[in-house]
Amino acid sequence: MKIEVDARGQLCPKPVIMTKKELDNLPNGIVTTIVDNEVAKDNVSKLAISYGYGFTVDKGKNNEYYIHITKGEVVEEGPSVCIPDTFKDLTIAIGSDKMGVGEEKLGNILMKSFIYTVKETAPWPATMVFFNSGVYLTCEGSEILEDLKALESEGVEIISCGTCLDFYNIKEKLQAGEIGNMYTIYEKMRNANNTINLG
Amino acid sequence: MRKEIYGVTTYKSTHHTIQAEGVFKSKGISFRTIPTPREITVSCGLSIIFSLDDIDKVKEMVDSNEIDIDGIYKYTKDGFNNRAEKLN
Repeated sequence: MKIEVDARGQLCPKPVIMTKKELDNLPNGIVTTIVDNEVAKDNVSKLAISYGYGFTVDKGKNNEYYIHITKGEVVEEGPSVCIPDTFKDLTIAIGSDKMGVGEEKLGNILMKSFIYTVKETAPWPATMVFFNSGVYLTCEGSEILEDLKALESEGVEIISCGTCLDFYNIKEKLQAGEIGNMYTIYEKMRNANNTINLG
Repeated sequence: MRKEIYGVTTYKSTHHTIQAEGVFKSKGISFRTIPTPREITVSCGLSIIFSLDDIDKVKEMVDSNEIDIDGIYKYTKDGFNNRAEKLN
């Protein structure tokens, strides 16, 4: 099976995410990713190395690179290479729809400003978890949905506490990310090297 | 890198920003409240960005004292080369 991923014109980390998605879905075969710059070529190559798959790189006429990655052909364990700095090993845990304790209006505006700043600052956190009134931020009517959806499309995992959605009766209004339970929330906080708690 | 251009209004205080948000909302102008870009001298930490298509409406709001701004800028986001240009 052969799959082609045209990632020309895509900004980092999109080429890696696009390639990873195909590799994960493909039982066996070759994924060829086309990129138009050297950084993207290196990042996609590192992804192949981190998976232990063999790959070759061809250069095209217009300075584009074709990275052919063969899934199923496991090569000897090479030097350990990390996936490029797409994400920080960081979980941001948000327990309120406001940032900090004080005037409600200020708390709301600070939270909007914080989420915008997260979105604008790569590398992104690997995961963002929302609980208690924080789940209002991932639901219909939230003023930061656009930012959260953008983060989600970049590959940031967004998890809202199911108990909380249920308590506030807004489960069917969830617009960004997935529903998780306390095990997931704790696991995400525990497994990340760093967790930022905000509420 | 995609280039994005916005209008930005800065304010003398957070209270003014919150008040202006209400006016933007009531006029149906789409906007975002963001931390004031570093390229703009900071007066209050929060600014409002909006589409340049709405610049005339925003200027009207300023002229009629519906919003009390500190400055109004054209802000170009262009990778690492962000620029702010004061409008008057």
